[in-house]
Amino acid sequence: MGRQVAIVSAGFSEHASKRSDVNMAELVSEAVSDCLKNAPGVDFNDIDAYVNGNMPAFEGVNLPELWMTDWMGARNKPLLRVTTGGTTGGTVAISGYYTVAAGLPKIDTVLAVAFEQQSQGDTSVGLGSVAYGEISVLNTMGIPYDQLSRLLSAGAAIGVAAYQATNYMSKTHITEEDLARVVVQNRHNAAKTWWSHLKMPDITVEEVLDTPYISYPLRYGMVCPASDGACAMLFTIEEKAKDMCDIPVYVNGVASVANESAVLGYDGSGTGQIDPSEQLGAMKSSELAYYQAGISFPRKEIDYAEVYSPFPNQELMWVEKLGLFEETTAPKMYETGVTSLKGELPINCSGGVNSTNAIGASAMERPAEAALQIMGKADNQVPKTVHTSIGHGWGGSLNLCTLMVMSDEPQRKWRR
Amino acid sequence: MSEDKVIVANRGLVRADFNFWVGRYLDKFYDNLENKKVIGNKCTKCGAVFVPPRKVCGECNVVIPLEENWVDLPDTGTVVNYTITPYRINDRTLRKAKNLLLGMVQIDGSNTSIVYRLLDLEPSEVKIGMKVKIDWAEKPKGDPSDIKGFVKV
Ligand SMILES: [Zn+2]
Repeated sequence: MGRQVAIVSAGFSEHASKRSDVNMAELVSEAVSDCLKNAPGVDFNDIDAYVNGNMPAFEGVNLPELWMTDWMGARNKPLLRVTTGGTTGGTVAISGYYTVAAGLPKIDTVLAVAFEQQSQGDTSVGLGSVAYGEISVLNTMGIPYDQLSRLLSAGAAIGVAAYQATNYMSKTHITEEDLARVVVQNRHNAAKTWWSHLKMPDITVEEVLDTPYISYPLRYGMVCPASDGACAMLFTIEEKAKDMCDIPVYVNGVASVANESAVLGYDGSGTGQIDPSEQLGAMKSSELAYYQAGISFPRKEIDYAEVYSPFPNQELMWVEKLGLFEETTAPKMYETGVTSLKGELPINCSGGVNSTNAIGASAMERPAEAALQIMGKADNQVPKTVHTSIGHGWGGSLNLCTLMVMSDEPQRKWRR
Repeated sequence: MSEDKVIVANRGLVRADFNFWVGRYLDKFYDNLENKKVIGNKCTKCGAVFVPPRKVCGECNVVIPLEENWVDLPDTGTVVNYTITPYRINDRTLRKAKNLLLGMVQIDGSNTSIVYRLLDLEPSEVKIGMKVKIDWAEKPKGDPSDIKGFVKV
């Protein structure tokens, strides 16, 4: 039987397209310092173990976690590296949770750290190994890896997202304006978040629609930037949490589910074989995590959500697939302000992945921000009280999702 | 035997170029190497001196401020470890190359060691504890190659 786990702090480095003023270890140390600064009752001696991760192949060095050991305060302490592609940050956070929940002697408090310094390497090459949704189709034709980029109009994650967007748009009958509206909300929110990358407080829907296409229906003005940045979250047991912060955030459900293997695809998944906006992974992970957390009516019981959406169509899709809104109704929610800072169910008030994407860190920044909203410590804090929030991550080729459900109340029901 | 027809071939490795930012602490270190000077920085708590300089002392979990605690050091040091190798990482076919001496050298006044070649030394001469000094490049460029290696004092 696992122990009740609480989040007591979260921290960020400054994010930008080029953090050339720091090396990878120094970048990570910024997030760690910020995390400890946000928990004045905690110092390095209180941390019993570490989990670390970034997007595989994006760091360009072997064993980056050992390089940055001292910079995380992890010397002579258990340290585990976990990398699961785009969902890495979410998996690192979940691993932090597992490590505390396990109940091992002398391991109560765990620091989870996720990072990416994308300006150093070739992101497209790194993503080529995982993010071509079409890879299974090409492999069935015997087309090798080195020809992928010549055959595809747009590589990397947008190669998947464009097809996903086309499917979603044809199902919901929305226009590009609906996509642009999501972007505008994110950019405005990012402007009020200190660590975010693309801060555009005045951008309009017209301006977004005035940028050229990268891959229909996605335009330059709609897609996420490539960022350098890091994030850290501190997990501990219920008994210690109250001494470490004012409002502990209890982790009541976690899940990581995909209906695919990382590259080749389960059951022929991949953009060419299935509807990429179907997202069984998102539905299954939310089903499981909500069950663990005792949530029966997500639409009513969840007050705030951070979803992993580099592209605006994904944000609309996720909030539906995660059960926050009825299918095909999300665009309306953005139009009527339901998802805005002051709305009934605010989404991505940090500006989301759409505004800041240090890939390995992105899926941790979602639960981190969602936890800070419960604590009342988010930079762009929603005015209403947040009792329950979710932080979501997306990766794999198409269908891998991580989810963390958090609340200001512990939830023990599922452990009976 | 039937003749194999190649329909699909993978024509080469996929290249991924990485350029690492060294950060401000190392920027300052390399700027000084360009002037043939070695600098380190000192932990504000335990007093350990790091060459190359670093932001964090892992022993104390203390951040050393970028603006402070810099230490000017000499270009002399002590061999704390060494090996002798004919192996060339970039030319593995070369099996009978001349021996190279690689040493870990602790710069005088520092608590850490750096790895460089030991020059103008016969393998039989090298000993742990021997004093050495930097052999500087004629035209330093502000990068690791400014130190050609270490020679006997
Ligand atoms: Zn120290």
